[in-house]
Order: sequence, then C-alpha cells, then structure tokens
Amino acid sequence: MISDIRPSTDGRTNKVTFNLTPENILQIFSEKPAVLHAFLSYVPNKMSERDFWTKYFRAEYLHGTKNSIAAAAEAAEDEELAVFLKQDDILASEARWKVRRVDPTLNMEADEGDDYTHLPDRGIFRDGSKEMTESQNELYRRTLSQDFNRHAAVVLEGRAVDVELEDTRAVAEALARSKQELSTKGESDGDASWERLDRVSRMTEIEDLQGPNNLPLAPLCIKDPRDYFDSQQANALRTSGDAFGGMEQIKCSLSTQEVYGSLRESISQIKATGLKDPIVKPEVAHQVFDALTNSISTTKYHIGKNPHESVLDRLPKKTKEELLHHWTSILELLKHFWASYPITTTYLYTKVNRLKDAMSNIYPQLEEIKGSVPSDLRHQVSLLVRPMHQAVDAAIQHYEADMQKRSTRRETKWIRLGGTIPLLYACLILTYTLYIRSILLWRGSYFCPIDVKTTSHLQMQHFSEIIRGEEPCAPLIC
Amino acid sequence: MKFQIEDVTVYFPYDHIYPEQYSYMIELKRALDAKGHCLLEMPTGTGKTIALLSLITSYSLSKPQSPIKLIYCTRTVHEMEKTLAELKLLHNYQIKHLGPQARILAIGLSSRKNLCVNPTVLAAENRDSVDAGCRKLTASWVRAMAAENPNVPTCQFFENYEKAASAAVLPPGVYTLQDLRAFGKEKGWCPYFLARHMVQFANVVVYSYQYLLDPKVAGIISKEMQKESVVIFDEAHNIDNVCIEALSVSVRRQTLEGATRNLNRISHEIDRFKATDASRLRAEYNRLVEGLALRGNLPITDNWLSNPALPDDILKEAVPGNIRRAEHFLHVLRRLVQYLRGRLETENVEKESPVGFVASISSHAGIDQKALKFCYDRLHSLMLTLEITDTDEFLHIQTICDFATLVGTYGRGFSIIIEPFDERMPHIPDPVLQLSCHDASLAIKPVFDRFQSVVITSGTLSPIDLYPRLLNFHPVVSRSFTMSLTRDCICPMVLTRGSDQLPVSTKFDMRSDPGVVRNYGKLLLEMVSVVPDGIVCFFVSYSYMDGIINTWNDTGILKEIMQHKLVFIETQDVVETTLALDNYRRACDCGRGAVFFSVARGKVAEGIDFDRHYGRLVIMFGVPFQYTLSKILMARLEYLRDTFQIKEGDFLTFDALRQAAQCVGRVIRSKADYGMMIFADKRYSRHDKRSKLPSWILSHLRDANLNLSTDMALHIAREFLRKMAQPYDKTGGGDRKTLLSQEDLEKMGDGTMHEMEY
Repeated sequence: MISDIRPSTDGRTNKVTFNLTPENILQIFSEKPAVLHAFLSYVPNKMSERDFWTKYFRAEYLHGTKNSIAAAAEAAEDEELAVFLKQDDILASEARWKVRRVDPTLNMEADEGDDYTHLPDRGIFRDGSKEMTESQNELYRRTLSQDFNRHAAVVLEGRAVDVELEDTRAVAEALARSKQELSTKGESDGDASWERLDRVSRMTEIEDLQGPNNLPLAPLCIKDPRDYFDSQQANALRTSGDAFGGMEQIKCSLSTQEVYGSLRESISQIKATGLKDPIVKPEVAHQVFDALTNSISTTKYHIGKNPHESVLDRLPKKTKEELLHHWTSILELLKHFWASYPITTTYLYTKVNRLKDAMSNIYPQLEEIKGSVPSDLRHQVSLLVRPMHQAVDAAIQHYEADMQKRSTRRETKWIRLGGTIPLLYACLILTYTLYIRSILLWRGSYFCPIDVKTTSHLQMQHFSEIIRGEEPCAPLIC
Repeated sequence: MKFQIEDVTVYFPYDHIYPEQYSYMIELKRALDAKGHCLLEMPTGTGKTIALLSLITSYSLSKPQSPIKLIYCTRTVHEMEKTLAELKLLHNYQIKHLGPQARILAIGLSSRKNLCVNPTVLAAENRDSVDAGCRKLTASWVRAMAAENPNVPTCQFFENYEKAASAAVLPPGVYTLQDLRAFGKEKGWCPYFLARHMVQFANVVVYSYQYLLDPKVAGIISKEMQKESVVIFDEAHNIDNVCIEALSVSVRRQTLEGATRNLNRISHEIDRFKATDASRLRAEYNRLVEGLALRGNLPITDNWLSNPALPDDILKEAVPGNIRRAEHFLHVLRRLVQYLRGRLETENVEKESPVGFVASISSHAGIDQKALKFCYDRLHSLMLTLEITDTDEFLHIQTICDFATLVGTYGRGFSIIIEPFDERMPHIPDPVLQLSCHDASLAIKPVFDRFQSVVITSGTLSPIDLYPRLLNFHPVVSRSFTMSLTRDCICPMVLTRGSDQLPVSTKFDMRSDPGVVRNYGKLLLEMVSVVPDGIVCFFVSYSYMDGIINTWNDTGILKEIMQHKLVFIETQDVVETTLALDNYRRACDCGRGAVFFSVARGKVAEGIDFDRHYGRLVIMFGVPFQYTLSKILMARLEYLRDTFQIKEGDFLTFDALRQAAQCVGRVIRSKADYGMMIFADKRYSRHDKRSKLPSWILSHLRDANLNLSTDMALHIAREFLRKMAQPYDKTGGGDRKTLLSQEDLEKMGDGTMHEMEY
C-alpha cells in the first residue's frame, strides 16, 4: 500500500522525511495514473525528479491531515500541486469505460437511472441514513477506501514491467505504454460482452437442482508412473507395445476409435479454421516455452565443470561425436551387463560373456581417439575418457572376480565375501555410471539432439543383437 | 420436469425441485385462484424467483382463454437482469417441451439511460440529462421543425421507429436490457420507445418498483396494464420504506433559488411566446377550460413524469380558474416560493401537519388548496406549451410543484418538518423543509386496488403479520416457509466477546471504544486466515465504517488482513463501488480471495448476492439501528404508534433485524452452497432482539453458538468448513427428502407433501 510510506520526524524540528524506494515509485505510478502522467510531462523539463517527489509528498501530507480546506487553498496557489490533490481524472475516465463492461447482475450504476432518489430533493433527505459531506471541497477529498480499492484492483491486474526499477523514467514510460496497450485492447475487445452474458446465464442456474451431467470421458491412465516419468528412451521403445495393451483393459465410456475420431475431428477443425480461441496466446506460449527451455539448457550447462564453455565444444566435431557415441554405447552395455547379475542361468552367463567381449573391444577404440586429437586437447580427452575406462574396468574386474568365484565355488568363505563385496561395489559403480550417463545424455541432446537420437536408435538394434547373441562380437560402430 | 398442481401443469426447468419450492407454488396457485393478494416469506437460496416465474407462466399457459399478465417488480436493474436471465432459462425449457404455443413476450423496462442506443444522447452523465437529451431530439415540436429545416438534429433511431409504425414490434422471446439494445441497434429502432410500446402486449414485464409505486412514473408507464395482472414485488422486505420515500419531498435553499431562476426563465419564455405566437397560449387556456388537462392525445414522446397519485376524481376535474392563465400561474408559483423561503428562515425545529400548512399558505400567500393540488399538472402543461426541452434544468420548480400537489392532496399520513440545521452539525446552517410521508399504504394503495393479485415476497418478512398492517391490505394467503436442508449448510453464530473476552457492541457508548474496534479487527483477522475465498463484512453506517477502517489502517490490522486477502470497500460513489464489486468477484474467481466491506442499508446490502465462493462468511458488525434522533423517524414512529399501535422500540428492532437478516442472507444461493454468518454484537444474544430474526436463521442458531468469543468462533468456523468440504448426498436421503424428482412428486399425494413441510 502506498499509504504505508509514512513520514518520519526527527523529533526536534517540524521537518518530516519520506523514504522512497524504486518499488514504492512503481507502485505509485501504477496506482495513480495522474502522477504517472504528471511525471512524464514535468520531469525533467519542468522540474527535477527530486522536486517532483517533494511536491508529491507535500500533497500526500496535506491529504494525511484530512483538511480538505487547506488542501483546496494550497491547490489554488500551486497548479502542479493541484494535480496531486485533485481527483484522478484518468482513473475516472477509465472507470467509466470499465463500468460498461462489468457483469450486468452487479451493475449498480444502472440503477442510477431508474431511481428517483438520486435527484436532489426527492425522497427523505435527512433521516440519518444518508451521510453528510461538505460539498464545497469535494474535489479535494479523497478517502482511504478509494485508495484501498485502487490498490486491490492494481494487484489483481498484476501488471509487470520488465525494466530496471532504478531508472524512474524508464519505469514510467514502460507503465504508460502497457496502460495504453491495455486500453486499446479493451476497446477492441468485442468478445467481452459475449463472455459476460455467458457467465450470467451460468450464474442463474441453480446447480443442485440440475441433473448430474455425465459428460463422456476417457480417463487418463498411467499404468506405471515410473515408466511414464523415467527415461524417455525406454519409453520410446515400450509405449508402442505396452501402453495400448494397457488401455484396453481400462473400463471407459469411450472406445479407442471414438477418442481417435474426436481427436482427428478437432485437429482437422483446427486445421481448417485455425485456433480461434486459444487457451494461451501464441506470443505468450512462445515466451513461456523459451523461458522454460532456456532454463533447462542453462542447468544442463552448469552441471559441467566449466559453466561458460564446455570441453566438448573445443574438440573437433568428429572426435566429439565419437566420444559421445562411445559414451552412450558403453553405458548401454554396462546397463545390460549389471542387469544380468547375479548370474543364475546359462543364458545370462553367455550374455555376460558377450557383453564383456564387446566392452573389451572398446579399449583400443578409445585409445585410438586419444591418439587422433591434437596434443593440446589430448589431456582434455583423456580426462573425458577416464571415467569410461573406470566404468568398464570396474565391470571387467567384477566379471573376473565372479569367474574366479565360480571356479572356486566350493570354498564357502569366498562365497560369503564374494557375494556381498562385489554387490556393494556394483551398486556404487552403477550409481556413478547412471550419473555420468545422465550428464552425457543431457549434453548430447543439447549439443546435437538429432544425431544422438539416431545413433542411439541404431545402437539399440545392436545391443539387442548382442544380447540375443545373433552377432556375438559385432563392431559397435557401423 | 413437469408436474401437476391441481389443474395446472407446471413446467419447471430443472430435473429436481426443493420441497419448499413445491409448497410455495401450491400457496401461490391458491392465491391466484382466489384472485387475491398474498404474502410469502421463503428463505433466500431456495429459488424463489424461478418458482414464481414457472408457476405463473404455467398458470397462464394452462388457461389460454384468459391469459394473465405478469408484472414483476424488482428493486434494482441488476436484479431485473437476473430475473430475466432466469426467465430465459425457463422459456427455453417450455418451448422445448410445449413447442411454439409456449412462446411469450417478456421485456425488461428501464429508463432511457439504460436503453438508449443513440451515442450523442448517451454521452450525458445522469438520467435527467439523458432524458432531456432525448427530448431535444424527439419532442414533437422538434420533429415538426426538423421536417421543415433539415439542419435540426433528430434521432435516427426514433425516426426509423416512427416510420416502421405498426410494423415495429418485438418478436416473442425474452429480452433483457442488453437484448433490447442489441435488437434496437440491429433494426435501427429506438429500443426505449419500442419497449414502452410493447409493454402493453408483453406477457411478462419486469421493471423497477418505482414504475408502479412512484406516482410520477406510474401514470405513464403502468396505466395500460389490465386488471387481470399479477404483480410481484420481489425482495419486498423494504417495501414500506420505498413507499414512503416515493411520496416524500424536501425543499432546501438551493431548491428555492433554482426554482426562482426557473420561474424567471419561464416568464421570459411566456413573453417571447406572447410576442411571436400568442395563439398557442390561448389554445392551452381553452384546453384547460375544457378540463382536458394533458391526458388527451399527446404524442408519446411528450409524455413525462405524471402527477403524484391523485384520486381519480381529481383527474377529471378542470384546472381551477385562477391558475389557467400562464401569467397567473406564474404569480402563484412566485408567491409560493416566497412563502417557503420565509418558512425556511426559522431558528427552531418546527413540525406541522399538512392541513395546518395549507391553511397557513392560504392565509399568508393567498393560494387555496385546490390550486396547490393542480400545480404539478399545470406546470407540466405549461412546459409543454412553451416547448421546453431541457427539462433537466427545471428540476427545482418541478420539486416545488410536487410538494404543492402532495400538500394539497393529502390531509393525513404526512407531516412537514422544518429543521434549521442537521443536529449532528449544529454549526452549519442548512435549513430544510421536509414533507415526509409516514404511511406506506398511501403509495401502494392504487396498486392493491387496481390489480387482482399482488404478491409480496422476500427472504425476510418476519414478523409476517406486521406487513399487512403497515401496507393496509388483506392477504388471502400469508405464509412463511422454512428451509429443508440436506445438511447444515448455514452456520449462524452470535459473537458477544472479543479475543480478550470483553464484550463487543456498536452501542452508542461503546462504539468508539478502541478495545471494541481492536476486537472487531482481530476477529476479522483471524477469520481471513481460516475462511477460503470471499468474506463480506457489514457495518452499521458509512461513518462508522470509515472510522473503523482508519483505525485499522493506523494500527496495522488492515495490512495484516491484506496479506491474506485483498480488501475492497463500498463507497458512496456507485461507479467505484460497482468496479470494486467486479474486482472482488474476480479476486474470488481467481482464488486470491477477498474481503468486501459494506454498509447495512447500503446499495450493496440491498441487491448484490454473495453466493457460493463469493461469500463463505458474512460478519455483521453491530446492530444496524436507524439513526433514532432523526426528526423524521420520530414523527414516523409517532404516527405508527397512533395509527397502528406499533410500539417504537418494537418497530426499531424489527427494522434493524430485518436489515441484519437481509445482509447475512445474501450468502446462500442453493442448498449445495454453504456459508457462515457471524452477528458480532452482544445485543444479539438477547432474546427480544434475536427472536426477530427470520425463522430459517433461528432454526440453525444453536444454543451453543449464542455467546461466543473470537477463539470459539474460530474453532467453530474451522470445524464447519471441514464438514462442508466433505461430499454428501444431495437428495437428503432417508425419511426427510430435500430434493424431489418428478417421480417423487408423482408418487406423493398432496397429503404426504404437507406433512413434510411442517
């Protein structure tokens, strides 16, 4: 509230001090268009900003004393001061066009014409219910109630200015602009009256006398939330098969065909007529989209060590792609590798073997990449490659340990130890790899979204082949 | 749904009906059959309007040989819009089930200001300027002049309407003011005159009380209504006040000055006419001699506010000889103004009866009673003769003539009170001469006499036996219905103590106590943090509200309240209040939540609904007594005691409590809705006050809730809101059904129905 800006006295002199912050100024401007208008026309040509606010607070102080006669006298002497003391003309005219658009069921203004009591001398004049006001200085009277109403209205409108609050002039201009837009929009808005009528008719219905309205609906069914919200890769593969299978089991009042039909219909309708009444305006939607994606990309960005420049960006494009490719393939292999433990069947056993072979094939390839880059980047690349090495190392180590364990199965001691330690280790590694993987995926999709997707799809085939054993030691890169 | 009430098939646009709606219809039907008046009280939020409309339209559909016309009077334009919206719903339903034979014409009628579509006329600010602006373009002499001189501006819409002549009709349907304007714009016809014309053919006319009660308007608008009409006064708990206001006039210094100016202007005009067109004045004189006065064949546009309710015989009399000539009449008026000015120069409060006043006029100013009686008509005729179009400039002299006619006509039921100053501000001299009407029955008598059935209905008519006495009529049916509730969806509480356990009240000696103000503030503050969506607060008067808001603002309570909800305040400026209300609703719609501060007896309390999420809690701060030191109120109380044997205290309490009930009753709209009501004053816990509340509130006021402090009220509010948030069975279930379907009605004979009601 503007009224919260209260003067402070120093206790010795009659001087009062008002403290004004940029937020206060913004608030004053948006709640009092007349002040805004005066600011734009007076500052800085006619007076300095400081003088302007001094004058403003002088007027406020006069209001605070609730002495409308003094206010009138001061206003008569100083026309600039009078601007602040008078009723706000801009608000009044705004109110006039706004009142035409309010809901007719609460438009009390319309009664004015139907009632004789507004006429002078009609009805009972002095029965105590009507209040006495001093009519002479009416012009300079402003009540707290008006301020409250105005404040609440501005809060409700929720107008934001995206300029630096420090610059008062810029704030003022931005506000004036947005106000203008609003009023032009308000005038051109023809749908408002229609919408209003619609609301009236909805309001008149008595809800509980109405029969229950059973609109046809198809409930949204997410069979497995984890499946839905987890990695998109898995989703992309599975949805085609699973989701439809799930849908049919749900009881719903609409068949799939109907839903599809209505969807198609509405799409074709939108195609033909365009979105007539979009839920969100296209510009707004675009802005929101931008803002959201922007923040996503920046968070991705910041996860890397160097927030301003990614290491990957400095690498030659080919190397970068190869690296990303290896990362994804290693991760996928590891995923399947760790998923096969503990080995219970012979199938799993052969699968693990195949995976291990495929992984060990990666070592030379990584070395190759390391060798191919110029010397100044070699360190960077080796840094990038190291976690891959470690991950694969861990897997192979575990594989070998497991092999050993199998060969010495009879020794119970080993089993006990061998059962737990590798498992813990595996968990650690798994979390670590998952972490790396997620980083890489984010990065990958950010830098070259299309490429990564295609490669991952291709790889999927390969992995499945490897897993199924049709092509045991196939080279991973085609 | 469709069902039988005796011989009438009722079409009701919903699938279910409340039992009280059904019994309301039965009583109403009996009153219609008996062709008598009735008085029905049914709680708000039980769908009175739709029950009324559907019974009466069905009644007239079932008796096509003698269709009855429905005149539905609302207090405000927005209520008119609401009623028409409900009627539209009903009409669509009836058309769907009955086909074209159910077609009716229903229109809302309002003043030019709300119906005009001519942009130049509409630019004017208030009603009278719009009226005058319209007359400037459409008066018969202006149009005659325009026929000769094309430079004289006329109203295109009116010209088109005139050209279309008998072809200008509204097709059947339900027309709100908005629809009328749209129709007028589309056809290029003036919606105002079209609507005025269609009033005589319409099956349903919805308009404001004033069109029937205020004799100045009633004469023109309502004279063509046939006797076989049903007149409904909805929300009629204040009807006695409307009636007495309609016949009260006050004269101040400004009025007399304005009247003198007007008289000078008239005399100037007379001179001009004498020089240029003396024959006109002579023609007028002859017309007056013949006693035709004005009632003859004046074109529709020249008609305006007609004379105050005069008994019929006076209308047939000729204007007395001494005021027939324009100059003579002018002299009479000048003497009258002079006399009134002399009377205003008093230093003491004077009270006089009309008879004494007329005698004193006659002896001091030489104007006899008969001449006084005809002042209004005579002025009207003169202004028409002088072709005065800017009637808004002549309001002052019209007031004087109103006054003269009323004083000359009525010997009893009025008093003249002259006050040299307002006693709340004794240092400011502001003399006023008030002719105040005390007898509400005077204004409404013509309505009861003329129409076969008059229905007076509202949510609060308790005590129901008082109204027939105040309005002096004999209802054939007089019933008060209770509300059958599915669940306890209203929760009235009486809060007597604040958070510090000290009593709260707006009693004169306590209201300025800072402790009370703080306790009230704390109460609201606690409530805003508990109650969702909208909260409405009513105060006893504007000045009290202003004071309390200032204090709350200074102590920071208001700021804390604003952290929970936005604050909107009713002011005396209607435009501002309307916008505040609109914003309030939007704040509730968007979930921000808001508090609305309003005044009992104010415009908001009278006509705005705070149903559903727009009002989950009403707090009535104090008991809204009238200002008891007012001379006029005292005179009225005295009159009531002498004529109707109603005790002063009883009347004051009755009046205050009906206002309070009215304020809190605005929260409920249907049984699916819920709301709390807090009466925050220790006086409400006294039996003599509380018992005057309508029974539907009393029946929910549990003994445990009669003497609460803030913390207890808070606890009850929490519990209540939690309970209301649970799903429930809408039909009521079990033995006590609160929602009837068509089968239920068919199954039940009338007998079981009646058992249920009581």
